Amino acid sequence: MSRLAGARRWGRGATPYALGAPAVVWLFALFLIPLVVMLVKALETCSPITQACTMTWHWSEFSYVWHGSAQSIFTSLRFAAYATIIDVLLSFPIAYWIAFYGGRRKNFFLLMLLVPFFVSFVIRTIIWQFLLSSSGIILTLARDLHLVGPNYHVLQTSGAVIAGLAYNYLPFTALPIFVALERIDKNLLDAARDLYSSKVEVFRRVIFPLARPGVFAAFLLTFIPAFGDYVNQQVLGGISNTMVGTVIQNYFLTFSNPTSGSALSAIVMGISLIAIVIGGIAIGARNLGDYV
Amino acid sequence: MTTNGSDMDASIIRGMTQPRITRRDLFKTAGAVAGAAGLSSGLSSVAGALPNSNVGSKTWWASQHAHHQLNFANWPYYIDTLNGTHPSLVEFKKEKGTNVSYSEVIEDNPAFYQRIIPSLSAGGSTGYDIIVMTNNSPQLGYLIQGGYLIPLDQNAMTNFKKYASPTVKNPVWDRGNKYTMAYQSGWTSLAYDANKVKTPGNSLQLMFSTKYKGQVGMFADPIELGAIGLLALGINPASSKPSDWTKAATKLRQQRDSGIVAAYYGNDYINHLKSGDLAISQCYSGDVFQANVNGSKNIKLLTPKEGLLFWTDNMAIPLYAANPRDAMDAMDFYFSPLTQAVVEYYVDYICPVPTAKNELLKPTGWDKSVLTAMKAEIGLTSTQVASAPTVFPTAKENAISKPYYQFKSQTEIDTWNETFLPIVQGQ
Repeated sequence: MSRLAGARRWGRGATPYALGAPAVVWLFALFLIPLVVMLVKALETCSPITQACTMTWHWSEFSYVWHGSAQSIFTSLRFAAYATIIDVLLSFPIAYWIAFYGGRRKNFFLLMLLVPFFVSFVIRTIIWQFLLSSSGIILTLARDLHLVGPNYHVLQTSGAVIAGLAYNYLPFTALPIFVALERIDKNLLDAARDLYSSKVEVFRRVIFPLARPGVFAAFLLTFIPAFGDYVNQQVLGGISNTMVGTVIQNYFLTFSNPTSGSALSAIVMGISLIAIVIGGIAIGARNLGDYV
Repeated sequence: MTTNGSDMDASIIRGMTQPRITRRDLFKTAGAVAGAAGLSSGLSSVAGALPNSNVGSKTWWASQHAHHQLNFANWPYYIDTLNGTHPSLVEFKKEKGTNVSYSEVIEDNPAFYQRIIPSLSAGGSTGYDIIVMTNNSPQLGYLIQGGYLIPLDQNAMTNFKKYASPTVKNPVWDRGNKYTMAYQSGWTSLAYDANKVKTPGNSLQLMFSTKYKGQVGMFADPIELGAIGLLALGINPASSKPSDWTKAATKLRQQRDSGIVAAYYGNDYINHLKSGDLAISQCYSGDVFQANVNGSKNIKLLTPKEGLLFWTDNMAIPLYAANPRDAMDAMDFYFSPLTQAVVEYYVDYICPVPTAKNELLKPTGWDKSVLTAMKAEIGLTSTQVASAPTVFPTAKENAISKPYYQFKSQTEIDTWNETFLPIVQGQ
């Protein structure tokens, strides 16, 4: 065997690893290492003054933060679920229309969908605060038309937070669904019609099953960030709807308590994983690998 | 501490705010580990000399010279401003030849502390020569206890010694002004929208009025929330005991659970008050004055019979600062009545230099042209600012000014937080 041939053989075998290396490095440096650091921090005890931490193996930290924050976790789960459902119901028809009837202007319509999102996330949310405020244009008009009472308010309610979440994550729902619908071979629809399917049956038995991966991706991209969101609740919400993201932020920034913050973050990650599995099953994934 | 809507016991609530073991336990563990490993120096390195032990002495200050460069970190809208420049800093440059890089980076004491502590505990500079921290926050105490501030040069405090108000000289949070000099003071009280609240009365009980259900804003900062809760019960926060804290927390929890509180706010409360979402809100005195200047004349400050909570923002030089001499010069420059007159004309918080009032009425130096130039933008005459009791308090306001509770240990801070934090977090 010549050296050249040996090198070539080694090279061929290593190619997939070499190509995969950037992804592996990425995953290690930006996901696994921070994750381990977070878990380690949760078990340490830190001085509020110097912020220096010592490993004390405090497993009980997890049960403490769980008991203290379960309520905000459930609030977050509920809000994220409502926002995801609203987004899927809203964006499916939009994505469907663009994918099947958009014609040559598809890209233009997609752009229209995305234009509001060229503005920063926080600024968009604060603009909602202006719109929904008691002296904002919407409520002033509604009051003048006697549609609502003088003390009716939208800000500080759970509804305002859910609406804010639904609005802010809409493109993350619409785009994956659009991509899935766009990929559907139009001949399949003709074939179904040729086989005497009604319009409803075409949708139920052909279009929706083929769009499922898109719906699942939309669920992942909407539900998970909405679950950890802390901006919408702080800007639009009130007191009965504290979300877990706010509690974590307080632990880190207000109470110099990174230990509890890390433990709660770890719990939130665990719950997110469980939610992904449950969501996957509900949407109809037989195994998660199908859709990722 | 079981209360309605919550089935948590006290130990769980404590668990949310308190590290699992106390620091004393930690030292014990550290000692045991060090002993076992035969490292007798282990414990002494934990409890050893503070990082600032070799700076700030007379001889150290004698070796410090001006670099004509200064990095000043402050809160937003907290310095005189005219056409995008800060006249007091322009004057400082004229007098001392110092270029000042002024940044409005402090919006909240704990968050700013989190930002600077990694470099300080690693022995590096924060990048700032002057920082401004509030006396009622545990973080100023942390900086002093941790040895993260440079002791001030007591010989370079000429203006301070001559002009500083007795309310900020030798304060309880920094005896002898060893580390800090006041920047501005202020009151925390209630503000109300006079269009909605026709009969505000003169008591903090206003914040418990069911008439304004869902339109009352309170502060999310547990220090502020707890203090006003105590005051509303007629308890002086400075001499309160943990049992009083529990009483105040019960009252504040009732206020929340009966739907009176709209939300717990940070600095954004003033916008909600201006936009009409709130009828009443806990407030900082200077914000109300500035809101009036900016056209919201219906926002009024309540002067309650129970008292006004008095706080002070303090300038300090963080350890490892590159330009301590320039910082010292600037801090004393801000105690000149001329400088304070200009600052106050824009800022409208409580002035640490009472004689600045005379300057506002009758400017005697460089402040004259600046005050005249600023007038168009401010929209108030300097006489109006000079006669505002929220800037130059009269004996009447000083008599009801109440200091905050002075924490004596981390355990007390933890107890305070575990008492008031769950209210804010909806637990």
